[in-house]
Amino acid sequence: MTTSPATQQQEREELISGSEAIAIACSMADVDTITAYPIRPYDTVMQYVSRLIANGDFDCEFIVAESEHSQFEIVKHASSVGARTFVGSSGVGWFYAFEAITVTAGLRLPVVAMVGNRALDDPGAFGTEHNDALAVRDLGWLLNWVATPQEAYDTCMMAWRIAEDSRVFLPCAISCDGAFLTHSQSLVKVPPQKMVDEFLPMYNRGNLVLHPDNPITVAPQVNEDWLMEMRKQTDEGMKRAKGVVEETHEEFRRIFGRGTESPWFEEYMTDDAEICFIGLGTMSLPLRVAVRRARDRGIKMGFIRLKWFRPFATEEVREALSRFQAVAVIDRDYSYGSPGNAGVLFNEVRSALYPLEKRPMLFPFICGLGGREIHQGDVVEMIDMVQQGLASGKMDQQTEWIGVRR
Amino acid sequence: MTTMVELPQVKGVKNIPIQELFTSGHRTCQGCESALSMRLMIKAAGPRSIVVGSTGCMYVANTTYYSTPWVVPWMHTQLGSSGSAATGTAAGLRALMRKGKIKDEPINVIAFCGDGGGVDMGLSALSAALTTDYNMMILLYDNESYANTDIQVSGSSPWGANSTFSPPGKSKHIMNRRWKKNTAPMLATGHPDCRYVATSCGSYGLDMTNKIRRALTIGGPTFIHSIDPCPKGWDYDPKYSHELGMLSIETGLWVLYEIIDGELILNGPSRAIAKGMKKRRPVREYLERQGRFAHFTEEDHKYFQEKVDRSWEEWYLPGVLPVHPQLDD
Amino acid sequence: MARVAVEVVYRGIFQKNLAQRITRTIVFAAKKEGKVGTAFGRYGDSPERNGIPAKQFAVVADDELELEEHLAQYEPKDVDVTIAVDDTLCKGVESWAWYGLQPINKPTKAGGTLLVTSQQGRTDLIQDIHARSEPYSLGVVRGSVSFSGLWVYKEDHTDVRVLGALAKVCPELVSIESMEAAIRDQWDDNLKIASTRKSYERTETRVVEPGQGNPETPYSFVLPGWTEMEEALVVQGHGQGTGFRGAEPVGEFDPHHNQLGGAGYEPDRNQLFKKFSTRSMRPMVNFDTCIKCTLCWLHCPDSCFDVTPDGLYDANLEACCGCGVCDDVCPVPDCVVMVNEAEFNDNAGQWEFWQRDKEGYNQWMTGLVDQAKAEKRSHGFHHVGGYAEDIAEMEEVASDD
Repeated sequence: MTTSPATQQQEREELISGSEAIAIACSMADVDTITAYPIRPYDTVMQYVSRLIANGDFDCEFIVAESEHSQFEIVKHASSVGARTFVGSSGVGWFYAFEAITVTAGLRLPVVAMVGNRALDDPGAFGTEHNDALAVRDLGWLLNWVATPQEAYDTCMMAWRIAEDSRVFLPCAISCDGAFLTHSQSLVKVPPQKMVDEFLPMYNRGNLVLHPDNPITVAPQVNEDWLMEMRKQTDEGMKRAKGVVEETHEEFRRIFGRGTESPWFEEYMTDDAEICFIGLGTMSLPLRVAVRRARDRGIKMGFIRLKWFRPFATEEVREALSRFQAVAVIDRDYSYGSPGNAGVLFNEVRSALYPLEKRPMLFPFICGLGGREIHQGDVVEMIDMVQQGLASGKMDQQTEWIGVRR
Repeated sequence: MTTMVELPQVKGVKNIPIQELFTSGHRTCQGCESALSMRLMIKAAGPRSIVVGSTGCMYVANTTYYSTPWVVPWMHTQLGSSGSAATGTAAGLRALMRKGKIKDEPINVIAFCGDGGGVDMGLSALSAALTTDYNMMILLYDNESYANTDIQVSGSSPWGANSTFSPPGKSKHIMNRRWKKNTAPMLATGHPDCRYVATSCGSYGLDMTNKIRRALTIGGPTFIHSIDPCPKGWDYDPKYSHELGMLSIETGLWVLYEIIDGELILNGPSRAIAKGMKKRRPVREYLERQGRFAHFTEEDHKYFQEKVDRSWEEWYLPGVLPVHPQLDD
Repeated sequence: MARVAVEVVYRGIFQKNLAQRITRTIVFAAKKEGKVGTAFGRYGDSPERNGIPAKQFAVVADDELELEEHLAQYEPKDVDVTIAVDDTLCKGVESWAWYGLQPINKPTKAGGTLLVTSQQGRTDLIQDIHARSEPYSLGVVRGSVSFSGLWVYKEDHTDVRVLGALAKVCPELVSIESMEAAIRDQWDDNLKIASTRKSYERTETRVVEPGQGNPETPYSFVLPGWTEMEEALVVQGHGQGTGFRGAEPVGEFDPHHNQLGGAGYEPDRNQLFKKFSTRSMRPMVNFDTCIKCTLCWLHCPDSCFDVTPDGLYDANLEACCGCGVCDDVCPVPDCVVMVNEAEFNDNAGQWEFWQRDKEGYNQWMTGLVDQAKAEKRSHGFHHVGGYAEDIAEMEEVASDD
């Protein structure tokens, strides 16, 4: 970092990794409290954050906690007194913090977290896998996946605005594939501070803030007389989040002049496609190439990258996927013993499509676990299976593990 | 929060603040000494305070949804998180005040935990908190068991005490063979920059009030460990809560002191005992008043007494620090 | 019989074992007659606090299918017999887990029975028990209240005397023979069998007619919906308090000093949870001998003392749960004394009475204090061997009349 981002008045381009882009986003969003604890690959973001602070480019309470649990508890409480917060973790570190993670949503605290997707131990592995982040899917966390350092920066900005919206007040996790995003650099447009200030209002917790001038009691113990009503309130907040995501996405495009058309997914060559692949995060890179090569072979193929997992854009996904004869879901995760022994994404997509009159054929694939690359050959193999399946007309397709040795 | 709330030492029990900031209508047991600790703590701290409480009796029994005993802002934190909760609250306030996002004013940041939350699960977060430079106080209310969850033994339960996890049985009549952790000295010696560590007991209300105030005004993170007789878990008539608190100290089992910038100052009966002005009462007088020790044999009483004697006669800092210099030094 | 449900209302942890013995023995006795049953504590009451009212149930039916029919509803809402193992519970119960005061006879079926362990006569008890529109029978098991302990169980036969009385008031549940057999199986103690039979023979019930009893409507609470509840698990804290009985406080409260001014002080009280139904004894204050040492006020875990304009301490009896610490810390002989709660029919403050009529108050107070000393009510374990002494007394009570 040569120039202080806060003092930049012109948009500039930086060659940075996704982690560094997020660190810059933190400083430009004037985050108040950040907690760190080392675990690969997410920790790179905290290395950049600490450097920004050390160089006087970022004013923030930066606490190196003694565990992930404390890391998430500390920002939770900072958020309760009205501080904008950022935190993060990876793999089993994220799981070590899980108690704090689940109460943060229950308390309706808009903590923003980066998950540097990492395979879960044992055995210890550093590579990317989505089961860590996916574990919050039922807890009231907003959850999305980004594909590029630019999108990591942009999504961070949106994350605080959406999470801190009083209609929502829910924490948000930004999932970044380990290595592919956290450790790879690309050119990122860093906007001038005034643009950020125009887009991102201050976090105002209103009459829910913990302060001697607002003497409230937060989260007293309850019994069966109360809990269902509380769960319902969070459910409503999550439902409202959908509209807020769309609103915020539009506002972002207006002010910053970039971003996909749909807030929910990125479509690639889907217009006339018969076969569509769908997946999360950085797999879009090999898949876009694969789409082009398939089309060279005359196969009408497209790719959709789902950006938000929570809230899940049920209607939009249903509408988008209903156009295809076949939909192939690539899960970079597993859900042992789940319906069809498939991945998490597959089963969510399948249940979203169920009400359709004319459902596309669905093909569940598990690929690229533990950070294993998704090779072009893997995609070709998947395409062949999809074509055979289409020919067979068999609706119930087996889950296939691609690129696994026998 | 550059400055701290002005809280002068209280001279005489009649000058303890009259105002209740922890009021009636909590659901603790009759004679709950921990509820008294909460009340005395916030009386001493005053209304410009934020309190975070970790899971335990003082959460579940104390703060039951839709009503609350608290006048000051209060928030729940997880069982092992009192240290992190205080740190997060103080860090958030400091950032907001420094950046001018909220008024820069002194606010007491207080976190409390029970023995389960502090002595067991929360120890690492507690330790981490004591290495920060935030102005905050952590109060450990020690009723010597996981009393809320049905009275299970904790790392702070006395040797031999009956509990639902350490019932005296036909083949083993002493199930809890662990000696109570020596928590306050562990935290004092383990965190050289922590300026204030003290022990207290609700039976000595003025002493406790002034310790709370010193902890909140000396600067930096501070820690107070309070012994709270628990009629439920200890099994005694609730009206004796106050007496048993005194007995625990007069028998030399619990020691009242404060460690200010590394200087150890014994208080009340403990001071008199150390100076030889007061004889320790036999521990039996304390043990036989509680159902949790009713299964003790003569040998058990003897063993217990000898352990307490040794802590006064052999420890380098009598009753406080279980080390002594090498004999030939 | 189709199904018979019995509830035992008890004072938390120190009566938990007692309640458990009663409900379990009911099921064992029913088994003797080829019936099936279940015994359970209300989950919402656990973990039990000491003193705070809680409930355990025994449900007995002719066969499994019939039992299942009645267990589909977790907590029986209509019971054949309600057993209160402390007579002060007759003033109503407020569990720590819910809001509102429930009359002790609320779940008792029309024509069902309320069985109370007490030294009081039925006429006195009826004054406490809330009046209702359906008749029910009231029976008394004579004896002092037994806080029979947690780790150490006080073998004072309260359990079997209640069971003997139960066999009498509810013969369709089990016969006295089956009850005795079940008791023998568990404790094999002829003395306990004798107590069972004696209690069976002695117990009588009297019908309480509709409208008879305590006329007050107990305070209740309506649960709000999710649209009415504050978001993010937030509830409002209490106010800073006022002068005595709502008077304007003199000046700002100064956290640095004990500022009383001339108005006295009264904390903001929790109107939703009052806690007085936890009380089986209440403090009587002798305002004439009080030296204003502050100790009763200072050591009260429930912040229950209101400070009067003249600097005296008046127990707020809506908030006092009767722990007795004030009695124990008071340095003046007989200045604060715990007396039997059963003697009162309201929660009126004592200081106002004393102000109005010092002589009358002192006379009343002295009477109650003397009586309390004679009764020696206890809240639990005092010292190793202490129960043996209590039991001797209990047996005397059992043997007279």
